Amino acid sequence: MKEFRFKLIIIIAAIAFSLYLLYPTYLDYQNSQDIKQTLNTISEQLKEEYPDLSKTQLNNILRAKEDSILAANPDIVKDREERIKLGLDLQGGMRVVLEVNTAKLLEKLAKNPDDTFRKVLSESQAEAEKTDEAIVDIMARKFSERDIRLSRYFGTIRDDDDEIISSLQESAEDAVTRAVEIIRNRVDQYGVSEPSIQRQGSRRIIVELPGIAREEEAKKLLQGTALLEFRIVRDPEFTFPIMQKIDNVLSGKSLDSLAVDSAKVAEQEASSDSTLASTDTTESEEELSEEEFRKQHPFFSVALLDPQGRSADAYVKADDKNRMELILNRPDVQKVIPNNVEFRFKAKPDIDAEGKEFYTMYLVNKAPELTGGVITDANANIDPNTSAAIVTMTMNSEGATEWARVTGANVNKRIAIMLDGAIFSAPVVKGKIPGGRSQIEGMADLNEAKLLEIVLKAGALPAPVDIIEERTVGPSLGEDSINQGLISVILGYALVGIFMIFYYQRAGTIAAASLTFTILFILGVLAGFKATLTLPGIAGIILTIGMAVDANVLIFERIREEMSTGKTIKASIDSGFARAYSAIIDSNITTFMTGIILYQFGTGPIQGFALTLMIGIAASLFSALVVVRVIMDIMVSKNVPITVG
Amino acid sequence: MRFFENLNFNFLALRKITYGVSAVLFLLGVIAAVTRGFQFGIDFKGGSEIVLQFEKPINIAEVRADVENIGLGNLEVKTFGGETGVMIRTELQTIPAEVYPDVITGIESEIENIYPGVPRVIVDSTSNSVTYEFENSDTASTVTELLFTAGFQSARVSEEPDNVQMIVSVGIADWIKENLRTKIEDNSFIVLKEDIVGPKIGDELKRDAVLAIFFALLAILVYLGFRFKFIFAFGAVAALFHDVLITLGLFALLYGLIPGLNLDIDLTVVAAFLTLVGYSINDTVIVFDRIRENLKIHKTRPLVDIINTSISQTMSRTILTGGTTLLTVLVLLIFGGEVLRVFAFTLFFGIIIGTYSSIFVASTLVYEYATKYKKKVEF
Repeated sequence: MKEFRFKLIIIIAAIAFSLYLLYPTYLDYQNSQDIKQTLNTISEQLKEEYPDLSKTQLNNILRAKEDSILAANPDIVKDREERIKLGLDLQGGMRVVLEVNTAKLLEKLAKNPDDTFRKVLSESQAEAEKTDEAIVDIMARKFSERDIRLSRYFGTIRDDDDEIISSLQESAEDAVTRAVEIIRNRVDQYGVSEPSIQRQGSRRIIVELPGIAREEEAKKLLQGTALLEFRIVRDPEFTFPIMQKIDNVLSGKSLDSLAVDSAKVAEQEASSDSTLASTDTTESEEELSEEEFRKQHPFFSVALLDPQGRSADAYVKADDKNRMELILNRPDVQKVIPNNVEFRFKAKPDIDAEGKEFYTMYLVNKAPELTGGVITDANANIDPNTSAAIVTMTMNSEGATEWARVTGANVNKRIAIMLDGAIFSAPVVKGKIPGGRSQIEGMADLNEAKLLEIVLKAGALPAPVDIIEERTVGPSLGEDSINQGLISVILGYALVGIFMIFYYQRAGTIAAASLTFTILFILGVLAGFKATLTLPGIAGIILTIGMAVDANVLIFERIREEMSTGKTIKASIDSGFARAYSAIIDSNITTFMTGIILYQFGTGPIQGFALTLMIGIAASLFSALVVVRVIMDIMVSKNVPITVG
Repeated sequence: MRFFENLNFNFLALRKITYGVSAVLFLLGVIAAVTRGFQFGIDFKGGSEIVLQFEKPINIAEVRADVENIGLGNLEVKTFGGETGVMIRTELQTIPAEVYPDVITGIESEIENIYPGVPRVIVDSTSNSVTYEFENSDTASTVTELLFTAGFQSARVSEEPDNVQMIVSVGIADWIKENLRTKIEDNSFIVLKEDIVGPKIGDELKRDAVLAIFFALLAILVYLGFRFKFIFAFGAVAALFHDVLITLGLFALLYGLIPGLNLDIDLTVVAAFLTLVGYSINDTVIVFDRIRENLKIHKTRPLVDIINTSISQTMSRTILTGGTTLLTVLVLLIFGGEVLRVFAFTLFFGIIIGTYSSIFVASTLVYEYATKYKKKVEF
């Protein structure tokens, strides 16, 4: 028994580990069912109480409710993160490959596009589609054939062709970066769970949006020029009373009662919520418990204010964001917010002292002072004097004049820089800026500055993209596929298992058991490596079930042969395993190799298949060579009879 | 229970017959390929494919008639899944120029519906979109919103407050869906699946598929060349070609003949073939391994006997593993759903042919080579 102890421990450890890795998937399944039921009951209730609730409103309320459930139960969130990832073909969703339309970009960059220019451009575009040459190069070539210098349409008269070519190529590269950021910004605001936006090569972007119900809405995210705006942030004297009114509306008090003044509210929050650094610990007269506070001040418990009252910026926890949006959309709340202002969120969340994400919320004018068309350039660097990250921004002449007026009238106020409605930065105006050349400070690091640079350029210079590939799977097809896959796996497993037991009897039972381990290991590895399970992947599992018995069959047939020559059962088992070894390794390695190649050259679902195939081979080898061996050895040592049919 | 215990059959003696069988199958495939050709899915040809699910059972012929004259030319219309599923496919990715006026008419009539007589001008039109300009930004925004709710892919050109332009994208899929929505009034549908593949991507996918197959065969050749003598590697790869080409011939032969089975060649099919390669080589190696072992043990026995004995000894395993794998593939074929059906079909026949080739192609080739060149096969 002792020799087996080591192997036995490894096997049991592997099983336990697999189960451990798969447990979140099981829990998540339970959680999802529970949440679905809860939301259904709420949905019914709401429909009864408010029969003319619109579909979008209902969805928003349900989403906010789901967020609060998730916020209250971090375990559920953890389970969701650790469950087996499902491919788009199983959960439903959209996968889009975008390519920057360089021709359109060149047209927009050109100074004075005339008919000759357009002709050359369309010729270049036609040629670029057939060959792999970059359109910039083709266009340059065509212009030089016609003896036209590129500086006629791009750059300044002093630039020579090569300089212009390289700067155009840079612009093309930049365009992809801008497009990625614009799309990311919009997708973040739209609220897709686990979106994926990736660059591929120098001109392509792959966007995956799981769980999209309406693909038309999703496609909207991918088109249209981004809007860059500069809006004034209102100061605390203006903002706070509005917040107070909202709070009163929500808690049912009369609009004008100022039950608690701002400092006391901030202190209460500071003491009941330790996430914000509070330096003042003056006692407040009435220490309300957290529950009471939430009842009395429903707005301020979601919009947390700076305890020192330096600004009226509200900090909204990521989990509360949907709830806040719901609050702001209520008609009774809308009534107390003046028509010319609105609350807007920062685009990217920040992290607080406890490591939780929160979004800063500002009250800004609705009308922009300036829009992005006036920006001519933006650059992120490090200020040589202060070593801080800054962004320098230049505007065209009409922008510069406006900008001088705006900055002059709003010294010491803040101006929010927004892209597609989300705030990226809200720097303070230090003084009037006459020349259209500004320097923006206040970024945490160079990365934040670079992001702002991209944002500023995005509003000014569009990045036209074309959809070159689009694959959408509706959620109902995804669900059907999962069901069919599951039925096939269970059925295949049952049939093969029964056959093994029938044909190889005792040994067959052991083989059937090891089949269970194989499937367990495959799923465990998938969960552990956070690999994605696709529909072909499920096919791979089913195939593995069929092929997994191969190793067992080879071994058992050998054992039968050895036994027929008269050897003892133990000797037969030993030499059976030994002699089958070479065949098993050679045959499985070759299949494994095709798996590797499939993974390399395939995309999406095919890769999922290759992955399960490879993992399946490894798992079934482990089961056949180690698990079955150990079980048999233990049985032999305990003199339990093994029949091999 | 045993299969094939003490089998000792002279397989090699049958080789003249099996050469004939292989030749016939091969010829059938070639004829089918030449006369009927292969149908490629949009993965390789590029194009648009949408799958719709109707609420109630729908008549395919009716759908076909409905989409016949909308200007998209040859549209493939097939059933998908049960009686309520429809797949529509076209090679085009963008609306052809002749159809354009109809598209505009459709949009125009909807705009009239929303806002009769609203002044508007078309300022730009490309192969897949048309841009309108209105008198003021409010009109532009309202029309855009309402057109979107009516099912058109409309959007404001820019989000600036003074924007007066609206762009309406008309993709093939949108045009087809619009037409069906108006023509089929009593049966609504949802989109189950929508795939649009541009020509460049199609070319790239084709290239990737060919490279994958090439490298797979190369890798196998090299690996087997190391583990066995080269003649065996050659025999094994030859058997692989045999399997792939005959199964491919089946695709050409049976295309469109089996209801509910869509035999278009797309990425999934390529994956199935690569899997087939993996399985078939698996099979062949088992036999070769036994031959290798027997050669070592019985150094003086004639090659014919060794090969026959090896095949006999491994027959049990060959049938068993082939059987269980075939069983699971059958489960996939019946229960696995529409998307995987062609995958299961490829493997089903491929495994049968692959098993056959391990015995009657790979081993026989080795034998022929050895007798022809009078070489002593050894390791």
